[in-house]
Amino acid sequence: MYTPEMLRLIEVVEQTREKRLQETFPRLTAEEKTNLLRSYHPDYMEGAMRPLKIGPNAGEKLPHAYVDLFESRSMIDADGLSLDDIAYDVDVLVIGGGGAGTAAALLAAEEGADVLLVTKLRHGDANTMMAEGGIQAADKENDSPALHYLDAMGGGGFYNIPELVRALVNDAPLCIQWLESLGCMFSKYPDGTMNTIHGGGTSRKRMHFAHDYTGAEIMRTLRDEARNRGIKVVEFSPAVELIKDERGQCAGAVLYNLETEQFLVARAKTVIIATGGSGRLHINDSPTTNHYGATADGLVIAYRAGAKLIYLDATQFHPTGVAFPEQIVGQLVTEKVRGLGAQLVNIDGEQFIYPLETRDAVSSAIIRECRERQKGIPVPSGYGVWLDSPMIEIIHGKGTIEKELPAMFRQYIRFGINMAEQPILVYPTLHYQNGGILINEFAETQVPNLYVAGEASGGVHGRNRLMGNSLLDIIVFGRRAGKNAAQKAKTVQLGKLTLEHVRRYNEELAKQGLGQRVAPILLPDYRGKISG
Amino acid sequence: MTAEKKTVSIYVMGKQSEVPYGVTIMKAMEYAGYRFIRGCGCRGGFCGACGTVYRKPGNFRLKVGLACATMVEDGMHLTQIPFYPANKAVYNLEALEPTLGTLLKYYPEITRCLGCNQCTRICPQELPVMNYIATAQRGDIEATAHQSFDCIMCGLCASRCPAEIVQYNVGILARRLYGRHIAPRAKHLAERVDEIRAGKFDAELDRLMQMSKEELQKLYNARDIEQ
Amino acid sequence: MSIPYFPGCTLHVKAKDLDDSTRAALAALGLELTELPEWTCCGAVFPLAQDNYMGMVAAARILANAAKLGDGRLVTVCSFCYHVLKRVNFAFRNRTEARNKLNEYLEEHYNGEVTLLHPLELIRDDVGFDVLQDRVYRRLKGLKVACYYGCTLSRPAEEMGFGEPENPTIMEELVAALGAEPVGFSWKTKCCGSYQVLNNAALAADRAQAVLEAASRQGAHVIITSCPLCRYNLERLPVGAAGKGESEARLPVLYFTQLLGIALQLPATTLGLDSHYLDALKEARA
Ligand SMILES: Cc1cc2nc3c(=O)[nH]c(=O)nc-3n(C[C@H](O)[C@H](O)[C@H](O)COP(=O)(O)OP(=O)(O)OC[C@H]3O[C@@H](n4cnc5c(N)ncnc54)[C@H](O)[C@@H]3O)c2cc1C
Ligand code: SF4
Ligand code: SF4
Ligand code: FES
Repeated sequence: MYTPEMLRLIEVVEQTREKRLQETFPRLTAEEKTNLLRSYHPDYMEGAMRPLKIGPNAGEKLPHAYVDLFESRSMIDADGLSLDDIAYDVDVLVIGGGGAGTAAALLAAEEGADVLLVTKLRHGDANTMMAEGGIQAADKENDSPALHYLDAMGGGGFYNIPELVRALVNDAPLCIQWLESLGCMFSKYPDGTMNTIHGGGTSRKRMHFAHDYTGAEIMRTLRDEARNRGIKVVEFSPAVELIKDERGQCAGAVLYNLETEQFLVARAKTVIIATGGSGRLHINDSPTTNHYGATADGLVIAYRAGAKLIYLDATQFHPTGVAFPEQIVGQLVTEKVRGLGAQLVNIDGEQFIYPLETRDAVSSAIIRECRERQKGIPVPSGYGVWLDSPMIEIIHGKGTIEKELPAMFRQYIRFGINMAEQPILVYPTLHYQNGGILINEFAETQVPNLYVAGEASGGVHGRNRLMGNSLLDIIVFGRRAGKNAAQKAKTVQLGKLTLEHVRRYNEELAKQGLGQRVAPILLPDYRGKISG
Repeated sequence: MTAEKKTVSIYVMGKQSEVPYGVTIMKAMEYAGYRFIRGCGCRGGFCGACGTVYRKPGNFRLKVGLACATMVEDGMHLTQIPFYPANKAVYNLEALEPTLGTLLKYYPEITRCLGCNQCTRICPQELPVMNYIATAQRGDIEATAHQSFDCIMCGLCASRCPAEIVQYNVGILARRLYGRHIAPRAKHLAERVDEIRAGKFDAELDRLMQMSKEELQKLYNARDIEQ
Repeated sequence: MSIPYFPGCTLHVKAKDLDDSTRAALAALGLELTELPEWTCCGAVFPLAQDNYMGMVAAARILANAAKLGDGRLVTVCSFCYHVLKRVNFAFRNRTEARNKLNEYLEEHYNGEVTLLHPLELIRDDVGFDVLQDRVYRRLKGLKVACYYGCTLSRPAEEMGFGEPENPTIMEELVAALGAEPVGFSWKTKCCGSYQVLNNAALAADRAQAVLEAASRQGAHVIITSCPLCRYNLERLPVGAAGKGESEARLPVLYFTQLLGIALQLPATTLGLDSHYLDALKEARA
């Protein structure tokens, strides 16, 4: 429920609404955008990063939270743990039960592989489940994979790896069709035409959605299908280290049963990491939209095994995280709210940025509005700006919010705010890991037989991902990883298992006086605090 | 929501803790020293991991909520139900027909619904659960699909059902039947897939891939944007 | 005017024709039915034990939901639904303990305010059979009709209030208004075999056979009913499950609403009628 002071400020927003309905805020020029990012984007904050001292990316500057992780020692005693006692022996081991992992498992099984999917929480407790807004694919007549390519490249600052973007845009319609055939209930017109809208940085309306439960709909459908296909799933058993064989091929993982606190060895001919993102590291002490298990475990274990990272210094802040009420600070207000016409407005009821600029730009503009121009609205955790949600009802008709954004509506109404009638308060929140483990278009890493798909991977989105390209990414590369890993597994001969790479990494840490902490951290620790 | 008291007393599985006023059950439990393994997933009302049952003093009603979306109240006695056993039918979606017969084949127990409405009362998403089982019972798959769409599969309804129905699994079967067999297919999508398979866009993509950053940037800045 | 209507599960699936013909025939008489916005199965059987409240709660909620609509009435046509709803409503009106207990489980308080109506009652009270007589376009002269009530519509008499328990006449009054001739028929309130068809098909077949023969003996051309299960048993069983082959006593079985629709000259498709029925009827009268 809003405070009386906030209610008074809402009147200001209401007063300018009619005028704003007529006005389109000018888009940023390329130069303005660069300057805005340089001055206000958290990635450019002084003191937020330090050079990494160890591993394939040694010397690169990364946010402290990542460096802390990579400079931590292993959970396991590489000499003490017996690798002879094999609990699971499979063709393909998939690590991570989100969208990317499940798509990979399905495709690997389709190729005839014996698949094991291990995951840290329950199958489906993942960022995928939380995605509200949508999934991109150029499948309308006025659109093409080439336009999609251009949008993704521009959004990523042209840092994206071309082969990966090509795979992304080329497979996009194929993936949507796959999901459709699995029974995903995309929002459609009565004749079957997909209902698609804009997302930040898109030149065509190519955002497909399922109300605002798009990720949930995809996740639960894939999970149901995995269960129908009888794919083996082990929950609450995160991978805490990769296992290699004496020839340097990736050959499985050490799992940690969170409930019995036992280590278990899973041997596999090929391994797919699909452990998702890292919001729960709270880079810059920022709140996050991410699920409880987003702690970059996959990055840590792959890095120790010799995989290279890319663009991990580029963190995506979602411009519209909840700034009020306090109970849900940091949670996502989907971009679809802006897609449907809601504007960002300061304390004086004025627009200050075109609402559908790329996320990095909108985030920076909000930070500028609050920090420099002092036109933010004070909230207990700092400040926020208005997102004028009632405009949606004016533009698209009464009841649109409850119909199109039921999850959002529910989230607010639980705390006494009716977003169909009152604007909501937002501020940037830590949202997405733009970079990750470097892969090629076959989802391969530089470590033999190690594949990565989804948010854990890097290169697809350059330095800034567009909304709707991540859900797409997990399906495109999840499928590619699953298929390729299964085919590869048919020819793999495994040698003797070893954790030599872990031992060496620990030694190197010790030499440099590092390794006081332990990683992966698996779960954040909020005991005794009010956080997350 | 004016806070007279700065803290409230809650009882987690009987054990008392003083926690700040106005926070969610999830954050309060963490504040009280718990570190979740089960019972916590998305932290935002999407995954259904954090189903919690509670009672308030002086009220016989058993209440439920998502720990991540329900505020603590003074004197609340609570426990989480992070897991509830459920039978899930295994099927080959493609081969199924979207009929009442299919629903009854996999979940014959839906005809046992007594209409007690406990499921609707308990659903943290406030879905018309009894009603979507009723529509399933009469083979209205489309209605079941739409009415159950916002289900987060938390399992609370099944935990209370005297007819031992697993409502959310009936829901997902109906949704998948609807999405696969009833909703009309997107024609433009099928056409685009054919075009891609035929290599229609390959040359253009090849060309874009060869371009320098500057060339791409020029194209990007000049692209027209659909209104 | 629009009256709250509870179709029931069977009408939604197997007996679509009963649903269609009911809505169409009543609409033709100016009685618009509006389906309850939300409804569940009524339970289908009234519990044998007086204190089995769980078995009544679904029906109770249907009535309570209907009460919210403010019309004060609820129409249902399937004999089973009518039976269950009527008896639960009776319990609400006449048994304090049942009323209190059931209200513990309902979201909204309900006291039996709703009047449950069978379409036959609705037509009698709101249109009047005498008026109906004048509204009939195609008088069914010469058609001999056996009115089959089965066991659920009129018993127990005190609770159902559907006329003389062993000899209700409301359906005959309708038939007469349509210009047809109702035949006297001793088996009209006897059981058709009902759910026994699931357990003991032969027994059910015998019962159905007896009903058909009784009607046939009176020279009936057609049997009418308001019950999907009766119709199923009467129509299919004598040929199939009993194994006696095509019975001589085989008669077309229609819903009374279909016969009404024919008399009102509604198109066969809106009544869910196959053309062979119409032919059979024509032949019968010829
Ligand atoms: C709130 C929110 C909204 C979003 N909205 C959109 C949107 O509208 N459109 C869009 O395209 N993208 C969106 N995204 C981004 C997108 O949802 C994610 O990037 C994507 O789903 C990631 O999928 P994934 O499979 O790679 O990872 P996840 O779905 O996060 O799955 C990772 C899985 O790995 C498990 N795991 C982690 N560590 C380990 C370990 N050590 N061992 C075993 N398992 C492990 C996790 O528990 C989890 O199950 C959104 C993200 C969030 C958080
Ligand atoms: S329908 Fe059942 S499983 Fe789904 S959200 Fe409601 S209570 Fe949870
Ligand atoms: S809890 Fe079970 S029996 Fe009760 S209404 Fe729901 S589905 Fe029917
Ligand atoms: S933690 Fe996911 S719904 Fe509460």
